[in-house]
Amino acid sequence: MSIDLSIITNYGPQLLLGFWMTIKIVVGAIILGMPFGLVLALGRRSRLAIIRFFATSFIEVFRNTPFIIQVFMLFYVLPFYGLHLPAEYVGVVALAAFGSAYFAEVIRGGIDAVAKGQLESARATGMSDWQAMRYIILPQTLPIILPAMTNQTLSLVKESAILSTITVGELTMAAITVQGETFRPFEAFIMVALLYWALNETLAIIMRRVERKVSRRTSSSSRAKVVRAAPAATEG
Amino acid sequence: MAAGSETKHNFLEMTEIRKSFGDMTVLHDVSLSVSQGEVICIIGPSGCGKSTFLRTANWLTPADGGEVRLAGELVGGVPDARSVSTQTKELNALRARVGMVFQNFNVWPHLSVLENVVCPQMVVAKRRRGEAEKQALAALAEVGLDDKKSEWPDNLSGGQKQRLAIARVLAMDPVLVLMDEPTSALDPELVSGVLNVLKRLAQKGMTMIIVTHELGFASSVADRVVFMEEGRIVEEGAPDVILQTPKTERLKLFLEKLNITAFKPNSDSAGHPTMDSGS
Amino acid sequence: MKFDISYTFDALPRLFEGSLVTLTLALLGFAFSVVLATIVTVARTASKSRILAYSVAIYISFIRGTPLLVQIFLVFYVLPIVGINIGPMSAGILALTLNSAAFVIEILRGGLASVPQGQFEAARSLGLSGFALWVKVVLPQTFMASIPPLVNEFTQVLKATALLSTITVVELMRVSQQIYSNNYHPVEVLTGAFVMYFLMCFAVSRSASLLESKFEVKRA
Repeated sequence: MSIDLSIITNYGPQLLLGFWMTIKIVVGAIILGMPFGLVLALGRRSRLAIIRFFATSFIEVFRNTPFIIQVFMLFYVLPFYGLHLPAEYVGVVALAAFGSAYFAEVIRGGIDAVAKGQLESARATGMSDWQAMRYIILPQTLPIILPAMTNQTLSLVKESAILSTITVGELTMAAITVQGETFRPFEAFIMVALLYWALNETLAIIMRRVERKVSRRTSSSSRAKVVRAAPAATEG
Repeated sequence: MAAGSETKHNFLEMTEIRKSFGDMTVLHDVSLSVSQGEVICIIGPSGCGKSTFLRTANWLTPADGGEVRLAGELVGGVPDARSVSTQTKELNALRARVGMVFQNFNVWPHLSVLENVVCPQMVVAKRRRGEAEKQALAALAEVGLDDKKSEWPDNLSGGQKQRLAIARVLAMDPVLVLMDEPTSALDPELVSGVLNVLKRLAQKGMTMIIVTHELGFASSVADRVVFMEEGRIVEEGAPDVILQTPKTERLKLFLEKLNITAFKPNSDSAGHPTMDSGS
Repeated sequence: MKFDISYTFDALPRLFEGSLVTLTLALLGFAFSVVLATIVTVARTASKSRILAYSVAIYISFIRGTPLLVQIFLVFYVLPIVGINIGPMSAGILALTLNSAAFVIEILRGGLASVPQGQFEAARSLGLSGFALWVKVVLPQTFMASIPPLVNEFTQVLKATALLSTITVVELMRVSQQIYSNNYHPVEVLTGAFVMYFLMCFAVSRSASLLESKFEVKRA
C-alpha cells in the first residue's frame, strides 16, 4: 500500500472546513449543554418529586442509549412535529442533550463532594436553598468537577463525528466525502483521526493548565493542613 | 392575646420539641424558654440530644413535634399550616437574625476571611458592599482577626477559624446566637482564645445558647446551666447550684465521669494559656 | 402526522432479532478486548520493555483521542486495501475490540495496582514464577478488583455496536433503518429500537452500580 500525500494538498481546505464545523458544533453543544446539565443536576435534588423524576429520567435515558440513535430520533422527530431545522442545528441540539446528561452527573457528584456543613452554615445565615447553592456550594464545586468536565468535553468532540450520519458537514463527513471522491480511505480517515487527536490533546493540555490554576489555592491549603496537623499531633 | 406580654420574659420559647431519627427518639418533648440577654449552657453526655435540640431552635433540623417562637414569632412548628414557600421565606428572614456557630467552624474556604463575613450580609441582609465591609471589619476586630482579613480561611488555625465563624455571625447583628460545641474541635491550646471572645459577648448582653463540654466556662459565663440526658432535660438552674450540688444521681455521675469532682468555679481558665497561641 | 404505535409493534419481532445480534457483537467485541488487554498488560508489566510501554501509551492515547466512528471506518476501509477481506461483521468486531482494549488496559492497570506487592513476593517465595505467578495469583486478584469498571465498559461497548450500522452490519440500529426505509415511519420504528437499547443498557449499568456498592461494602 502506498500513501498518496497529494490528498493533503488537494483536499486540505475541505477537511479544514469540516474541522471548523466540528469546533463550532462542539462549542454550541457546550454552551447549551452545560447550563442545562446544571439545571438537571439541581433538578435531581429538587424538593418536588415530579421534577426529580423528570431530571433523573432524562439523565438515565440519555446515558443508557447510543448517541447515534438519539441523533436519528431527533432528526426524524422534529419534522414529525413540524419543526424543520437544518441538520447542523439538529446536531448541536442532539449533542447538547447528550452532553447535558453526562455534565449533570459530574456536577451532581461535585455538589455531593462539598462538605455537608457548608450548606448548613449557609442556610443558618438565612440564605435560601438557591442562594446557598449560588454563593457557597457551586463555587466550591467548580475545582472539584473541572477534570471530569474536561473529559466529558473531549468525549463530545469525539461523539460529534456521529453527526456525519445525518449529513452534518463536520470533519468526519468531510473525510467520507474525500474518500468517496479519491477512493483513498486510509489517507482521508487517518488525516481526520490525527486532526481529532490533535484537537483533543490541545484541549487536554489547556484544561490541565486551567485545573492547576484553579486548584492551586485548594492544594496549597491542603498542604498547609498536613503541615499544621503534624506538630499538633506531637504536642497532644 | 396574652402572648404579647409573655414574650418579654420568654424571648425564645421552645415548646415540647420532639424529634426522632428512624426508630430512635432523640428528643422527648423538651421545652426551654430563654429571656433576652440570658446565656444558657447546655451540658450532657454525647448522644444526649443536646446538639439536635439546639439545631431545632432555628429549625435547621425541623422537629417532628412542638414549636419554636422567637419574640412571639413562629420559627417553626408542627403541624404548620402555612405553605412551604412562605414558611421558607419567613424562616430564612428569621435565621438571618439568629446566628449559629458550628463545632466544625464551617467557614467557607472559597472566600477570603473578609468575604466570609461580607457575603451573608450582602446576600441575605441586602447591605451594600461599603456598609457590609465596615460591619465585617468591626466584627473581625471584635474577635481579634482584623489583621487576617485578606487571608484564606485554610491558612487559619482552628481557633482563628472559629473566631471567623463568630465574626460572620456578629456582623449580621443577631438577636440570638446558637453555638454547637464551639470549642470541641479545637486543639487544647486554642480553646481559650475562642472562650474569651464568647465571654466578651456574654458581658455585652448577647442572648446565647451554648452546647459545651467546658464546665469551667459554663460556670463563669452562663446564667443558667441545662443538663440533658437521653433526650430530656434532667436538671437546670444557676451554674453553681447545678455544678456544685447536683440533685440527681445522673448529673452527679456525669460530673464525676468528667473527672471534675474537685471542681472549683473560679479556676475555669486553669490549664489553658490565656492567649490563643495559634494566632 | 400522528404517532401510530402499531408500526412499533409490527417492527418488534425483527427489532428483537436485531437486539440479539447487538448483544452478540457486544459480547464478542468485549470478550476479545479483555483477552487482548490482558495479554498487553502482562507483556507490558513482565517484559519491562520501554518500547512496548511507549507503543501501548501511544496506542491508548490515539484510541481515546479519536472518534470510534473514524476508527471503525479505518478498519473497515483499510483492511481490504491491504488484502484482508473479512466482511463488515468481523471488521466491526475487530474495531470494537481494538477500541475497547485501550480502555480495558487502563482498567486492568488500576486493578493490578491494587494487588499488594507482598502477593508477588509471597508467590515467588513459594517457587511460583512466570506464567503460574500471573495465572494463579496476580490475574485473579486483578480481575476481582476490576469487575465494576469492566461491567461499565461493557455498557460502552453495547452502545458502541450501534455505530456498526454505518458499515452495513445488520444489528438493531441497521434493522430499524431497514424497516423504516420500507414503511416510512422512522419515528415509530426508532422508538421501538430506542426502548430496546435503553432496556439492555440500563439493565447492565444498573447491575454495574449494584456491583460497585457491593464491592465498596466489601472493602470497608
